[in-house]
Amino acid sequence: MYHLDGTDILDAKYYRKTFSICPECMERIPAVVKEDDDGKVYMYKTCEKHGDFKDLISSSAKYYKWTHYAKKDKDGKVIWQFEKNGEANPPDCASEDPRGCPYNCGLCAEHLSTCSLALIDLTNRCNFNCNFCYANVEKAGYLIEPTLEEIERIMDHFRNKPIPAVAIMFTGGEPTVRKDFPEICKMAKDKGFKEVIVATNGYGFQKKNGGLEWTRKVYEMGLDTLYLQFDGINNTTYEKTRGIKNLMPYKMRVVENCRKVGLSSINLVATIARGVTDIEVGNIIQFALDNIDVVRGITFQPVSLCGRISAEDMNELRITNADVIQEIDNQTGGKIGIENSWYPLTTIVEFGRVVSYLADVEPIEFTCHPDCGFATYLVVDPDTNEMVPIMDYFDPLKVIDFANRFWAKIKHKEKQPLKFFENLMGDAGKTLDQGLNFLDKTQLKARFLLGVLQYMKKPGKLMELFSRLLMNGDWESISSFTHGTLLLSSMHFQDAYNMDIERVKRCIVHFGVAMPDGSVKEISFCTMNTLHRPNIEKQVAKKLTQKVKEEFDTSVGQAREDLQQEVAQNGGIKKEGI
Amino acid sequence: MPDEIIETKDGMKLRKLVELKTNTAEEYQQAMLDRVEYFKEKNQEKSQFNSFLQNTVVKAFSTLLSLKTKVDESLGEENLKKVHEVLDNVLMFGL
Repeated sequence: MYHLDGTDILDAKYYRKTFSICPECMERIPAVVKEDDDGKVYMYKTCEKHGDFKDLISSSAKYYKWTHYAKKDKDGKVIWQFEKNGEANPPDCASEDPRGCPYNCGLCAEHLSTCSLALIDLTNRCNFNCNFCYANVEKAGYLIEPTLEEIERIMDHFRNKPIPAVAIMFTGGEPTVRKDFPEICKMAKDKGFKEVIVATNGYGFQKKNGGLEWTRKVYEMGLDTLYLQFDGINNTTYEKTRGIKNLMPYKMRVVENCRKVGLSSINLVATIARGVTDIEVGNIIQFALDNIDVVRGITFQPVSLCGRISAEDMNELRITNADVIQEIDNQTGGKIGIENSWYPLTTIVEFGRVVSYLADVEPIEFTCHPDCGFATYLVVDPDTNEMVPIMDYFDPLKVIDFANRFWAKIKHKEKQPLKFFENLMGDAGKTLDQGLNFLDKTQLKARFLLGVLQYMKKPGKLMELFSRLLMNGDWESISSFTHGTLLLSSMHFQDAYNMDIERVKRCIVHFGVAMPDGSVKEISFCTMNTLHRPNIEKQVAKKLTQKVKEEFDTSVGQAREDLQQEVAQNGGIKKEGI
Repeated sequence: MPDEIIETKDGMKLRKLVELKTNTAEEYQQAMLDRVEYFKEKNQEKSQFNSFLQNTVVKAFSTLLSLKTKVDESLGEENLKKVHEVLDNVLMFGL
């Protein structure tokens, strides 16, 4: 049954106004997101200089309307909705550009969400040479590689905010080509990041000589999770996407080495391109199930379109989140159905706020835009050995509804804790008030736990861990619970054709860049890659002098002799021009 | 049909339909329990998994959940809906 069955939402055509940018001149222009008669949702925009643009936002208007769902009372007043405004940190910079968002990134006062995932580009060196990638030292002709001091400055920036970032991801290039990568992981843990992640093609982990020891070392130094580039299980797929032959043994060595050292948190990241990798989604899910002891999730990323592109090519290449989850539906025979298995990432915002308030832990805010991504959890049914969506264990919509209404009732307590005795007795009453607040939170916890319990459908170890998560909201319970699930998500990053300023303002994935003047710029992921990167990199780049080339090995991140050996060992990891 | 593998012209092996069966269900459960052990050992007395009070509450919760699922079955969908409404009102009362 579809979430919206029985509502009148499906009858009304979706329509909303927003702002975007012109893909030619990058100027801010008005845009409309609306449903057409073909049952799809498009963005329409017109640039005075460069004409009309139309781009597909969602290939399923029916599904799109679910992600923009708002629960209303009898009078039509919104009780809760998937589109939220986050708890934003104070701005980092003045809004100097009168054009406003997205030109003032750094962050400016227009931003509506705080950073949940901090990103640092550790290098633009890479042992691969993917033709679509922006991070390539040879193509760029300059090196981007922050020093340890600069990295520390960026980490401090994210951790010292009123609402600090909880997780950090190292990106690149290939971050693991850096010799000091283990020390960087340790620094992140020491700074208090709960989750330390690397986005990697697997380079450092897979080395035949020393890869296992290196994996153990980075794990011990604080690395929690790998976002492992994983486009499929066929070598042919990688030949198409990465231009490299026989890459599966390379990926398998990463998985094996992680397994051997107990690094049990790999998230497979698949870039989804039409006709290339979309046909592999079933294979990827099965690969995850076969390696469930170390694979915690899969992130499907519909490809973003960069550079100038014709309308015909756009129609052929554009793939949306709805296409991806429809493909998953098709390839699993409807077991992970588009109609009822997926929820926008924002779904759990209030749930998270209740838990973090009651447990006194740092909140993790997924207050991104509903268009940014969808997710579902799979769990194993011990009776059948079959993976099933978590909806079989509890009714998410009812749990969410309860949590949202519960938060609406108690959120004032977060801002105004009880001061009953302090008002009567002054400072001497503070301790008594602490006790009173503790008792209040305990009774609220009991109510919340029972409220959620009523919608649970199955007992078992997983639900025990879920109850701990409700009570503690700490990293132990989150991490243990996720080790009993497989998280599937689909994240569609924006490009100049489909950029929606409402999405930009709510972005929760932020790059941190240490600027030469000593400041740190915090820039949302999509605007960094679409708009700001060339200008930022111009300011922080190192020229490729002979000295830099020798010090950093800008060819591949390893000595040329090593690479030649690697080519022989892997049966063909080969780069043009080497 | 499930898990039938087809091979494309360029040699790609694709599943026609993924059955979502896993022969590693035990490993899967074990991975979760290993994580609990990992935190128990790493964080010692600071770990919630070593807390007597918390473990007792979780056990009680688990028993309650087992009972509840049995009661749910006997109630039927319509009655269950009514029970949820009443419980909702009770739990929100006074907030």
